[in-house]
Amino acid sequence: MKNAVSVSGYSVAFAAPLAVYFLLFFVAPLAVLVFISFYADPQLGRMGLDQYRTIATDGFSLPVLADTLWLGVQVTLLCLLLGYALSWSYVRSPPPLQKVLMLIIVMPLLTSVVVRTFAWVVILGRQGIVNSALLDLGWIDGPLKLLYTRGGLVVALANVQLPLMALPLITALQKLDPNLEDASAALGASAFRTFFRITLPLTLPGIVAGCLLTFAASITAFISQSLIGGGQMLFMPMYIYQQASTLQNWPFAAAISLVFLVAVLACVALFNQLGRMSRGHAAG
Amino acid sequence: MNPTRRHLLGSALTLGAMQLFPGMSHAQARKLVFATFTGSWEEAHRDVLVPAFKKATGQDMLLDAMLSVDQIAKVSAARSNPPIDVMLHDPGPALTAISQDLVEPFPVAGSKNFKDLIPEAQDPMGPSMFFQVVGLTYNPDKIKTPPTSWADLFKPEYKGRVGITNLNSTLGTGFLVELARMNGGSEANVEPGFKAIERLKPSLAAVAANPGALAALYQQGQIDISPGNFNAIQILKARGVPVEFVAPKEGAIAFKTSIHIVKNTPNKELAAALIDVALSPEVQTRLMQSPYLVVPTNGKVKMEGEIAKVLAKDTAELKKKFVFQDWKKINEQRPEWIARFNREIKV
Repeated sequence: MKNAVSVSGYSVAFAAPLAVYFLLFFVAPLAVLVFISFYADPQLGRMGLDQYRTIATDGFSLPVLADTLWLGVQVTLLCLLLGYALSWSYVRSPPPLQKVLMLIIVMPLLTSVVVRTFAWVVILGRQGIVNSALLDLGWIDGPLKLLYTRGGLVVALANVQLPLMALPLITALQKLDPNLEDASAALGASAFRTFFRITLPLTLPGIVAGCLLTFAASITAFISQSLIGGGQMLFMPMYIYQQASTLQNWPFAAAISLVFLVAVLACVALFNQLGRMSRGHAAG
Repeated sequence: MNPTRRHLLGSALTLGAMQLFPGMSHAQARKLVFATFTGSWEEAHRDVLVPAFKKATGQDMLLDAMLSVDQIAKVSAARSNPPIDVMLHDPGPALTAISQDLVEPFPVAGSKNFKDLIPEAQDPMGPSMFFQVVGLTYNPDKIKTPPTSWADLFKPEYKGRVGITNLNSTLGTGFLVELARMNGGSEANVEPGFKAIERLKPSLAAVAANPGALAALYQQGQIDISPGNFNAIQILKARGVPVEFVAPKEGAIAFKTSIHIVKNTPNKELAAALIDVALSPEVQTRLMQSPYLVVPTNGKVKMEGEIAKVLAKDTAELKKKFVFQDWKKINEQRPEWIARFNREIKV
């Protein structure tokens, strides 16, 4: 009898190692971070809310935060656009082609982020692939500045993060019953209407998952942001590093890390809410 | 006794933990750990310093390469049981480490080589092991007349061709101070330096996030002239990238790179021994030669090769041509400068 009780009891027990792991290596450091952020000076001498006051009033930290989140939105939108089209053609390809496509989609995840990023330095440079192609075609007179620009950074980040968008979308699209789209078409809906009334709402969970992953990965992409964005763009990861390492100002670094964390959590919550609301709308 | 599941699990966990934290099992007697810098420095120290240390003491040692600021973070996170025995620092972080009480004084009395160092390098809290030198670097394929002065960066023909780095690095900060000095400022007053950077803005092709990124920018033809580290340029040259280094007529900026015994190290004697080996004329002579080209601090080392050609023939000339900056003053105001640079250079 004893054994029959606890199918669910076992599953909780199985989560215990992970829970301990999280407590030790995530919750505890996070608590330390919170504690440090309440020191008033870099020498850790006095407690106080000074760091948070500085963030709220210096007129610099909050714009950097907003700009970082905006970068995440830009990359996510581009990824969604490219990723949806890619996933769409993937699920409609014959199986042999799917294998090749999947390899191509996963490839960026299998290469080191440094290598990928340097590849983009080569692509976007003055003598890079884009500029030489445009020059050879005679479309431009001199090399364009692509590296160290916002546009270049968004495109490069979108490439790096695309698998995180494409994989959940592929799963969602594969689960979609093709009969539903056929039925919609048979009942006289245009392809456009079918897409927006049937396909898009039913793949919404995939979209939400993909967007969350892409967003989180692109706002924290320290290496890509600094190598392709350059020193004239400042995003939160570099800002935190600068304060923590170069200036050894741990309280301020801790405080901006936490503000960043809370802002990202708020974005995630907002996005989940949007997903839920539009799902209700689609059902109704 | 029959091994039970619990026992097995226990042993497995212990083994796993030992795999994860190898330091746990032999925390008492560990090899000397020297935190050198990444890249060519690590290579040079692996080839020259480690064998010399082995010869002098009969002991093996480990190199753990990381940036100066990361060494400070690691040591201050574990003050009572530091994972590093000997640190290597740029001048700014060196003062930070000393002020945070992370450094043990070097026992000068027991040292054979300390007294032979040139006076600028003699500091008991951390003698300098080598100098890093910052001058002008340029692409000789694009710039036919070699630049001679920092002022050349402002020439109209280099518009859109100039690269600099931000103030996160010693190089970037040192360059700002030098611009200030050229324009009547000093370490205490960098206002003229910021004004100069404002004037330089139209010429800028790139503001790199770190000095290492400058290398990629030369390779990509993104920039043709920039302030640059003598040793970083040698690596690029060796890989066939068209770059040259010149010491500007105002003097090349020299950064003392100091070597420190970490406070509370379990290997204090060995740490002192390593430092003495690092200061010895034999090691410094070998490090000065190709391919390392590390600028020596020991007055007994005779300059030769590329260093004699490009930088200085002897210590007298070296002192004349190198500009040392007051990093104590710089450190005091660096946070404000970085905040200001962040704001003013942002696009």
